[in-house]
This record gives sequence, structure tokens and C-alpha cells, in this order.
Amino acid sequence: MKAVGARVPRYDGIAHATGRTVFVDDVRIPGTLWVKAFRSPVHNAMMTNLDTSKAEAMKGVHVITSESVPLLEYGHLSALGIPADEPLLAKDEVRYLGQPIAVVAAPSEEAAMAAVAAITADFEEQPALFDVRKAFDADAPVIHDKGNWYTHFEDEMDRRQIRKGNIEEAFDRADLIVQGVYRPAAIEHAPIETQVCQVVPEANGRLTIYSCTQALYFSMGVVAAHLQLPLNKLKVVGGTVGGGFGGKVDTATETMCALLAQKSGKPVKWRWTREEEFLCSSTRAPWHMEVADAVTKDGWILGRKMLTLHDAGAYSRFSPYGLTKHSFHHTGAYSIPNLEFNGYVVYTNRTPTTAMRGFGVTSVSFATETHMSRIALELGIDPFELRLKNANRIGDTSPNQIPYTDPSTVPTILAIADAVGHDLTPEYAGMTPAPRSGDLLPEHLVGQLGNPEAH
Amino acid sequence: MAEVLIPASPSEAVSLYGDGAGTTVIAGGTVVMPEITYGRLTPGRVLLLSNAGLDGVTIDGTTITLGATTRIDTLAALGDQVAALATCADNIADGEIRGQATVGGNLCVSQGPEAPRGDLQGVLLALDATVRSAGADGERTEAIEEFLSHRAGRLVLDVSFERPSASAFSALDYPHTHEYTVLAVTGVRAADGTIRLAATGLAGTASRLHAAEALASDPTAAGAAAVGDCSFADDALASAWYREQTLPVLVRRVLNQLEESA
Amino acid sequence: MNLTVNGVDTTIESGPLTSLLDVLREELGITSAKAGCEQGGCGACTVLVNGASRRSCLTPVASIDGAAVTTVEGLGSPEHMSPVQQAFTHHYAAQCGFCTSGMMMAAQAYIEGGGSDDHEAIQEALGGHVCRCTGYVKIIDAVAAVARGESFDLSVTAAGTAMTNIGGMA
Ligand SMILES: Cc1cc2nc3c(=O)[nH]c(=O)nc-3n(C[C@H](O)[C@H](O)[C@H](O)COP(=O)(O)OP(=O)(O)OC[C@H]3O[C@@H](n4cnc5c(N)ncnc54)[C@H](O)[C@@H]3O)c2cc1C
Ligand code: FES
Ligand code: FES
Repeated sequence: MKAVGARVPRYDGIAHATGRTVFVDDVRIPGTLWVKAFRSPVHNAMMTNLDTSKAEAMKGVHVITSESVPLLEYGHLSALGIPADEPLLAKDEVRYLGQPIAVVAAPSEEAAMAAVAAITADFEEQPALFDVRKAFDADAPVIHDKGNWYTHFEDEMDRRQIRKGNIEEAFDRADLIVQGVYRPAAIEHAPIETQVCQVVPEANGRLTIYSCTQALYFSMGVVAAHLQLPLNKLKVVGGTVGGGFGGKVDTATETMCALLAQKSGKPVKWRWTREEEFLCSSTRAPWHMEVADAVTKDGWILGRKMLTLHDAGAYSRFSPYGLTKHSFHHTGAYSIPNLEFNGYVVYTNRTPTTAMRGFGVTSVSFATETHMSRIALELGIDPFELRLKNANRIGDTSPNQIPYTDPSTVPTILAIADAVGHDLTPEYAGMTPAPRSGDLLPEHLVGQLGNPEAH
Repeated sequence: MAEVLIPASPSEAVSLYGDGAGTTVIAGGTVVMPEITYGRLTPGRVLLLSNAGLDGVTIDGTTITLGATTRIDTLAALGDQVAALATCADNIADGEIRGQATVGGNLCVSQGPEAPRGDLQGVLLALDATVRSAGADGERTEAIEEFLSHRAGRLVLDVSFERPSASAFSALDYPHTHEYTVLAVTGVRAADGTIRLAATGLAGTASRLHAAEALASDPTAAGAAAVGDCSFADDALASAWYREQTLPVLVRRVLNQLEESA
Repeated sequence: MNLTVNGVDTTIESGPLTSLLDVLREELGITSAKAGCEQGGCGACTVLVNGASRRSCLTPVASIDGAAVTTVEGLGSPEHMSPVQQAFTHHYAAQCGFCTSGMMMAAQAYIEGGGSDDHEAIQEALGGHVCRCTGYVKIIDAVAAVARGESFDLSVTAAGTAMTNIGGMA
């Protein structure tokens, strides 16, 4: 831990302070064409009569549509064997406002805007779905031909589920059930550098891709798959990201720019406007979480039933992964021995959602912490002590049965109590993460908490 | 390609403007430039006022005149003359935008839902300002209320008003410099003791609160009456309900401030 | 049209309504000013025009014909950084670095205007600038340190670090 608390050199400090850092938009390649997109003007529609001929007839303008993509559908988790559900460019239907349909490259930004303005299509609008709670209704708009939620968890299950201990017994034994519904909203990552990409077709047939991606090798794989090119035909230059926060994990621009560079034989650049960034780039998902805890009068949480609806937006992208992480953390920093968790990745007509700082976990932390305070309020006990009592201790196991070897709940809560000047009784003030014993291991929990073998 | 005209004097500006047909005026450009950049506006003929000599504040006895291209940050210096104007100006955007944005631009932008613009309109309404402008039928000086109702085809030259004996401005708190004006109220006591009130952030345009003015001696009653005078926007910034609840509070605050400064 | 850019007299070929930001980046290849929003809301494009800090994205170039424009490149070089640049380096005030040029130009104008180390005054001066990474604390610390006239020992924070990822230093 030599670096903690010490002053260390920033490898890019001087470059930033002298304006010399070369972000993607700062790469200068003469003769670069500007890229702009023709995007869906509606939330949900069948699309016919896409006509790009007027744009294509403009001087120096190149256009790609779904027909230009060698492999149209390639999912963000395809490499893990999960079926793809999102076309690179919309084909017969559009599922979210701002979905790219055709992308143009032109000699100037104005020419690119004019080319986009010359593209037309007919949209037969369908009712749109924005509320995950309505996705399961019999009369809900159908977003995907296979249904309104993702169906490819292990063994083709349509939900992520966790079962631990004996949930019914826990609820039978409870003195009361405390319930809550938690719905954190979508958040735009809003990096100050918008999505941007520059692609240069090299004389040797390779494409050099200057990318602001947060996941360089991942993006490389995605581009190679859509273009059906071997990896050695791509050189991806990255590492300089003007803020990402998770929003630059999706491969938002690289593939389309690569196709346009191939088609035009010229270098191309696409820099999203701030409005595109807000309206069309992915966001952190909104979540819907319902929690019911079986609780004893003296503040033990015996069991938790939880239902999570994770709003994927129009396509699944990384959402199954986010929900899986969410499920592993759905008891937060606390040990609850009996669990029944069901989580669904639900499709809506929102912009597809993606990773953001603490992917899948911040939502459940919000729900859990709010719920802990609610339980303390209902029982009339100290919220710090309730948290310490149920805190993760060495040897406790996570919802997915991983034993905790060094859980930090106890020292963290003690530090918070200290920082805000909250007095604790000696029993709690002296608590450590060591395995439970004495009064803090009540009869009915022996063999449950602190003993992974028991589960 | 747009034809760009850069007049070097007020009279040249007026003659180049003519009847204004097909002409886009750019003063500070803080509103127009993004429209051009984003391709929503492709002007054919542009009158750029940067060099037209239309800026400056003149004080003639009790009459204060603001040239059309006076920068908003200049108004801060008028604090001892018209407190409300200085406070309102200080609430607009950030220091750098205030150094670029103009009074004329603020008067001519249309207020729309979610558009942080035209904050000065409310203050100038309460000041009962007059606007001098040029256009098809030549030069014209008229009350601001009238000017705001038919701005198209007019080139603003300056705005004048009488120094009030007191003025006050109160807005809902801004959590960030760039936060839009959800609701703001200006109150003015004229030299003859008349009280005038105006609000911005309601629904579309700034408006005078005539019913509230009539009850100005009773701030609570005036606040309640103001609600009847207005329609409230329901947008992403605030619900109509919220605006309706807070308008009486702002009216009361402004009237109390005027009372205190008496 | 003419501009004096970082002390160099320069003839401008772009159209009169071209934003100063596009003139700098696309015509002159000076890339420190960034296009973060192109509508005045983020501050990343800020440069000095005749000493005053200005949103280059909102400024039609014809409106400042003949003016002196200063960008970060004009503040100092990696070998000879200005006090503001040194302070930003020393205080780790740049994280991703995308807002940094605009922040530094606003800071430069603030310091040249005799700004103090009062945190509220600094916040007001930088109020139009958005940074999504740092949380602003280190930026404000850096500006306050310059205002106090501190000097900076960069032997640790910037030792042997003059490099970037994409294409090296411009
Ligand atoms: C980040 C940001 C924050 C902002 N915050 C605020 C805020 O808090 N409050 C607020 O009120 N505004 C705000 N604005 C909007 C804007 O800056 C102001 O309204 C400003 O006063 C407009 O003046 P301008 O000179 O820049 O206008 P311009 O962009 O030059 O012009 C605006 C409009 O007025 C017309 N016009 C300009 N001058 C004249 C004239 N003399 N005669 C006839 N027509 C004319 C133009 O043709 C155009 O239609 C903000 C803008 C930005 C970018
Ligand atoms: S790019 Fe000019 S303020 Fe954002
Ligand atoms: S350092 Fe990344 S936006 Fe400020």
C-alpha cells in the first residue's frame, strides 16, 4: 500500500494541464468525413420504405443501413453464448426514440446534416411501454417477439432466482413483516466528452479505430463480429477517455464508423452532440424493487423475499449481467439467512440501459439501506444497532453462498456512528467482524448465521 | 452560405435591418449560435450587432436607458439605482455567459417550457419600461407590454425606464448556476408610490400581476390574488401545482422587501 | 478576418458565423478547447478573448475580428507551465482532463482579475463549468493555491510524466 496517502505521479498530469492530451476528437486526420445518424423519431413502430437514395445521390455522401452490415445482430454478451437481440441498425422495426436506422458520412458537418435530412421512412407507430410494472400485463404492448422479458438465464430460465435456507419457516417465525417498494430512476452518465470515434482505412487493408471506449478489447471483438473480420484487420487505439462512468462500455459508434470507413475508403469521424448523448446514449437503468422482510421484535431479519424488475430498455445489452450482480448483493451489507429472490430483465421502449458505477449494486444498496431504516423505525430501535446486529460477519455467506472472509460492515458503521457523534451501547460500540457469539447469536439463529455448512 | 452584415453604427444597423424580412439578428449569440450549430436554424441574412455601437447605459436625471447590446454583467453596477435589475441579472446564467449575453437578446428571446431565457423581461415589465425599436414603419417607442406582444420584425435599439424609489426581486433558489428559472417575481415602487408586480417562469411569457398590485398593501392577500392572474406551466422543471403554491410566497417576499426599504 | 492567437497574428479563412471553437479546432488545429456541448452549458470550450473568459462555442468568429485569443497552449508549455497549470498538476485537479482546459482558462481570468482564495468566490467564477469526474474540490483547491501565490514542487506529482496515450503529445 505504498501509494495510499502518498503523493504519486499522474502519468497524464502535465499533458492534461498543458492541453496536450490527445482525446479522440483531437486526432487530426486530413480529409476526414463527418458522420451523422438518421434516428428513429418515435418510441415503437414498424418501419417501411426506408429511402436513402436522395442522400446517396449527394456529392461525397456515403450511407449505411441494416443491409450494409455483414452480421446485423451481435449482442453485448454474445461472446458468452447469450443470443443477440439488438440489430446494429434498425431493420423493420424501431424500439426506442433515437435508435439509429441509417448513418451517413459526408465531407462536412453541414453536408452530413443535410444528407440525414434527405432520408425518409414510414413509421407505423405502436403503443409504447415505459413502465416495467406493466410489462407482464396481458394487454401490454409486445416489445420483443419472444416476450417482454429476457429468457436466457441458466437452463433458459426467464428469471434470475436465488433460494437460500427455508423462507416459509422464516416468515412463519417472524413477529412482523416489513415491506417496501424502491424505484431509483434512470441516470445519464453525462461524460463531458460525448461519444466519439475516428476510423482510418489504412493502405494495408486494416482499419485503425480511435475509440473512447472503456473496454477496448471488448469493442474490438464487437466490431470484428459485426464486420465479420478477423481481429488482425483492426487496430484499436484507446485509453484516453473523457469520462465514461460505464456509459462507454457499449460499443456505440465504432462499428458504424468502421463500416463507413470501409465503404467510403476515407477516414471518418462521429462526434455525438450533447443532445444525442442525452437522448440516445444508454443510461443507468431505472429499477423496481419490492422487498418484504421477516423480522423479530428485537431486530433480527430472519428472511427476505424480493422481486426486482430491471429495466433493460429496448434491448438486453449487459442487463442480465447487471441483474446477476444485483441478485448476489441483494441483502446489501447484511446477513439474512433465508432468501427468496426473483429478478427479471424487462424490455421497455426506453433507450437501452447499461453499466454505471457499481452496476446493479447501487440500486439494491439504496433499497436495502432505506429498508433498514424503515425496519428500525417500525420496531422503534436504533438504526445503527439494527444494522450492526445484522451486519455481515466473518464466515457469514452472501446470497449466492460465498463465505465472507473480511466483511467491512461493522467497522464502516462504527466509523459512521463516530463521525456523526452517535452514541452506541458498549455491546455494539465494541463489536468486531469476528464470528457471532453470546447475546448476538440468539438461539433461533444458531446453525443459520455464521455457518455456511448449514445452508 | 449566409450573408453576414456587420454594421459599424446604430444608423447603419437600422438601415441594414430595414423591415427585418428574412434577417436574423445576432447580438451576444448565446441563444442563436447553438441553433445554427445544431442545424435548427440556417439563416440567409444575418445582422451581427457586435460592432454596431448599441451598447452602454446612460443615466439622464431619473431616466435610465440600456442600449440593446449592453452586456448583462454590466447591470450589476446598477445595484444602487435598481436593486431588482442587478439581482435578476446576477441570477442569469454564469459570469462568463453574462459577459456575452445582451439585454436586447434577453428581451427578444421567446420564453418556452424548459428554456432559461428572458429573465429580464419580468423586471422590465415591473419597471414599466419603454422599448425603442426600428422596423418596417421606421422607429417606434412603446410600452414594453406592447412590444412583447408583437416583437417580430423589430430591431431593438434601447430600453428606458424611470428610476423607481424601491425595487425587489425574488426567485426560487438556484441549486446550480445554470438552473433554469422556475419562477421569479419582481416588485417595483415607482416614484409616485405606485406598486407594480411581474412574474417570469409561469407559462410562456413574463406577465404583470395586476390583481396582486391592487392588493399590494396586504402581501398575503396579494399573493393569493396573483394566483388568479396566472396560468402555470407544467413541465420538467416544476409542476403547475408547485408553481401555484410558490407564487404567493414570492409575491409576499417581494412586497415585504419593498415595505422594508420604504 | 484576423485573430492574434496565443500571440501569433493569424488570418482566418472560415466563414464569419463559424464558432470560434470550430475555428480553433478545425481551421487552426488548436485542440485544447473542447466541444463538450456546443450550447454554452459545460464550459469545456472556454478561451480568453481580449483577456476575458468566453465560451468559444457561442462566439461567431466575425464578432471578435481583430481580437487576441488565448488558449491553454498559450498559457505555458510542459517545460514552462504557468502557475495555474502547475497548480492543476500539483493538486490533481484534472482527472479525465476533458473539462480541464476550460477550467484553467476561467481560473486564469479569475487570477488575472485579482481573485482571492475565497472558496465561494472561486465557485462563482467557475460556476459555468461542469466537471463530471473530480467533484470540484481539487479544482477549487488548485485555484485557491494560485490566488495565495503558492509555488509548486512538481518533482513528485509530475515526475517523468509528459506523455499521453493517443498519438503522444501534439
Ligand atoms: C448556459 C446558458 C445559461 C443561460 N441562463 C439564462 C438564465 O438564467 N436566464 C436568462 O434569462 N437567460 C439565460 N440564457 C439565455 C441567454 O443567454 C439570455 O437570454 C441572453 O440575454 C440572450 O442574449 P444574446 O445577446 O446572447 O442573444 P442572441 O442569441 O444574440 O439573440 C437571441 C434572440 O434575440 C434576437 N435579438 C438579439 N438582439 C436583438 C435586437 N437588438 N433586436 C431584435 N432582436 C434581437 C435574436 O435574433 C435572437 O432571436 C442562458 C444561456 C446559456 C447558454
Ligand atoms: S462546448 Fe461551449 S460551453 Fe460546452
Ligand atoms: S476531469 Fe473529467 S470532466 Fe473534469
